[in-house]
Formats: sequence, C-alpha cells, structure tokens
Amino acid sequence: MVPVGTEDSPSSELVKRPAVPRRTPRVSLIVVLPDNHVVSPDRMAEGLRAHGNQQVDVLVACAGQPTNLAALHQSVGDAQFLLAPAGTSTQDLRQLAMRQAPGDIVTLLSGTLLPESCADAELFMTS
Amino acid sequence: MSPPRSLSVIVPVRDDSATLARALTAILASELPRDDYELIVVDDASTNGSAELAARYADTVVRLTGRRSGPAYARNRGAELAQGEVLAFVDADAMVRPETLPRMLRMLSDHPEFDAVSASHDQAAAARNLASQYWSLVLHFGEQRQPGTSGDVASPCAAIRRNAFLSAGMYDEWRFETAPLEGIELGKRLEDAGRYVLSSRDLEIVGLRKWNLRSLCREVWDRSALVTRSLGYQRTQAGVPTEVVFTLSRTLAPAFALLCVVALSAAFLPRPNVPVKTAIVLLGVIALNLPVHLFFAKARGIPFAIAVAPLHLLMQAITGLGLCAGWIMRDAVGDRAPDAATQAYAEVGVEIWPPVPRATGG
Repeated sequence: MVPVGTEDSPSSELVKRPAVPRRTPRVSLIVVLPDNHVVSPDRMAEGLRAHGNQQVDVLVACAGQPTNLAALHQSVGDAQFLLAPAGTSTQDLRQLAMRQAPGDIVTLLSGTLLPESCADAELFMTS
Repeated sequence: MSPPRSLSVIVPVRDDSATLARALTAILASELPRDDYELIVVDDASTNGSAELAARYADTVVRLTGRRSGPAYARNRGAELAQGEVLAFVDADAMVRPETLPRMLRMLSDHPEFDAVSASHDQAAAARNLASQYWSLVLHFGEQRQPGTSGDVASPCAAIRRNAFLSAGMYDEWRFETAPLEGIELGKRLEDAGRYVLSSRDLEIVGLRKWNLRSLCREVWDRSALVTRSLGYQRTQAGVPTEVVFTLSRTLAPAFALLCVVALSAAFLPRPNVPVKTAIVLLGVIALNLPVHLFFAKARGIPFAIAVAPLHLLMQAITGLGLCAGWIMRDAVGDRAPDAATQAYAEVGVEIWPPVPRATGG
C-alpha cells in the first residue's frame, strides 16, 4: 500500500522509470475513487480484460481512508493503494495516481457516485 | 459488458501542457454522451509532466519514452489501442467546438462514400498576438477557398474510419518525424486506395498555440521544405491545393518575374532610381496578393491588413527559399529517413517498446 498525503509529499514524486528496453509495454490500470464513489467488479474486470493476457499493475486511488480496506485488498489482489486526503478531487486523484503508475500504457477508470442511501456500502459493489 | 464505443479520440502531445488542458476540456465538452467515446492521449516523451496532466482528463494515457518520435508515430500508437469504429485525431493545441466531433461522426454516417472528414481552422486564434492571428487567418483563407474532397487528413482535427486507417497503413512514421504534413501523405494513400477525404468548411477548430515570429518562420520553412523534399510540389498541389504552402507560394513565380523585369529595366536607364523600383516591385507583389490582403482587411480591418503585409511578404520569401531547399535536398541527399540506428533496428526487426518507427508511405 502506498499512502499518499499531498502533491508535495515525497511519496508522490514521479515513479523512476528504468531505461531497460522491454519487448512489450508495461500496462497499468488506475481505479479512481473519490469520496463516496464505488466501482463494480465487472467494470474492473472489463478494464483488465481490455489488455488481454498482459500483466496489469492495478493502482487504486482513494480519497480518504476507506473503511473496508481489508475487503478491498481481497477484491483486487496485489493492487497498490494510494490514499489521498478526504476531499481530494477526481482530477487530482488521477494526476497523483498517474505519477505512481509504472505503466507505459495507463488506463484510468473512474468510480461512480454512490447513492446517498448506500453511503456506508463497500467501495467495491457487487453488480 | 459495455457496448463498443463508436469513437476514439486520439491526442498526441509533446510538451504542450500550456494548451493540453484546454484542448482536452474542449473534447470533453463535446455534445456526445461520455460513454460513446474514449479519450486516448499519447505522450511523446514530454519532459514537462504532460502525461500527468493528461491523466486528469483521459481514459488512457500512453507514455512513450526515449527519443521523441513525432505526432505521426504517437497517433499510430494511440490508434493501435483504440477500440472505436471511428478514430478522431485532435492535436494538443487545437480546440474543438462542442459540435465538431458529433458532426464529424454524423457526416461519416450520412456519407458512406467518404472515409475521413477534416476540420478547418477558425479565423480566430486563441492567442491575441499578431503572429497567431495572422497564421490562423492564412490557414483559414486557404482552407475556405477550396473545400470539398481533398487528399488531406488535416493534422489539427480529422476523423477517419478505423478500417480505412488501418488498411491504408496508418501514418507514415518513418519520414514525418517533426513537420505537419503527414496528413497529406496519408490522404494520398487513401485516395490511391479509392477512398476520399471530405474537407468541411463548417467544421472548425480554434488554434491554441501562441506563435511568434521565430516559430512562424520555422513552421513555414519546415512545411515548404518538406513539401518539395518528401511529397513533391506538383503532386501535392494537385491533391491538396488548400495547404498553406500553396497559399503562400501561389504568387511567387509572377512576383519573381516582376522583380526580374524591373531589375532588367534598370540596366537600360541612365539613373538606377532604386527607391522607385523597389516601390514598384513591392506594390506589384501586394497587387498579386490582393485577394489575401483583402481577406485580412475584411476579417480584421485595414490597420491589421497593413500591419501583417510585411509579415506575409516575409513568409512568402521563406516559403520560396524552403521550396528550393527541399528540392535541392531531395536531389542531394534524398527523402527524409530516421537515423541509422533506427533504420538498422527496423531492418533487423527488433521487437522493443516503444516500437521502432515503420515506413508505410510511398
């Protein structure tokens, strides 16, 4: 897990990208979850499927501390988590996550706003 | 599972963070449902954080590392990832109107005989300085004079059917590393394959780049030298008469003839009378360019037309020199090609990311 505070914190520096030649591009999937946003596993799977059999680095960027961190870890396996302060905007989250993502090809997936009636639901909804 | 998107918008960027945000915001403000299109930004080895900025808006960001390879190469990398049936290429310094992309889609849908649609430049440029306003007007002047079918998949904004783009061999990333004429070369290949490009007078984009005298001179030089070196002046003039090089070069031959006549007459007169003869030549050149000067006056007023007259003259002179330089270089050193290392990589067929540039042009 990569906890990230603000844009100025040392951990938000650009990822050092090694100059070692590769045969294929490295692929990253960023899931952007501002406050009260969720993403369904189907959408996640779709985002991963789009890259075929390639290995994909998943990075989940959340605004605030998600209450169900353990469940999130279980849902997305070895994903990297980026925790920004509550209230961080979607665009700022995207930019922060992009700095951490190691991929040559980076796909960004935005969550959808959680209805008020489900405010306490898990960040990863089942469809 | 979500249905396939009808449109993929591909934006190549290289250190254009000053205009990128405006360009991407304009795309996202298009009158299209957000789920109907994907936005792919291809960062051509920028050093100013353009990829991070692009991530604020895009669905996919491609980061090309190492040496810079040019917009043709970057667009091709974006097209390889695109899932839309139509690919729209929008430059990072071009601002589309909300209706531009939906209308392009509609035109392609209503006119199956066309495989690509090109937008033209608005009269107005986003930057208010003289050079930017002048350049925008010159581009607009040429594009508006001869709309209809053309062999130009316009660089700043064009939409093309995915299958046509792929079957034509995509952009030639071998020869067009820097200059903006790769769309003409692609258009020529499309025409050779019996496919047509519609240049629309109504679809307009606003140029966001701020030009100055130096960048303008360089742009005009690059374009004109490339027209003769890599594309062939006569062939291109027949195919794409709207190209700005031809707007600037149309009066070159008569102007040169006038200069010769006046200079020759000096040989037979007792007094050289240089100021009068210079004035005759300048007035003659202005008269030859009357349509474009009248257009400037109509669009921005007489003071503007007077102010840009010397600039226009300078651009014409650079165009003439650039055309000659391109001809000479073509004969002396041949067409443009990447450096020896890239050629060797391509010959061996090295598989590497980012891939070695490919030659697809004729």
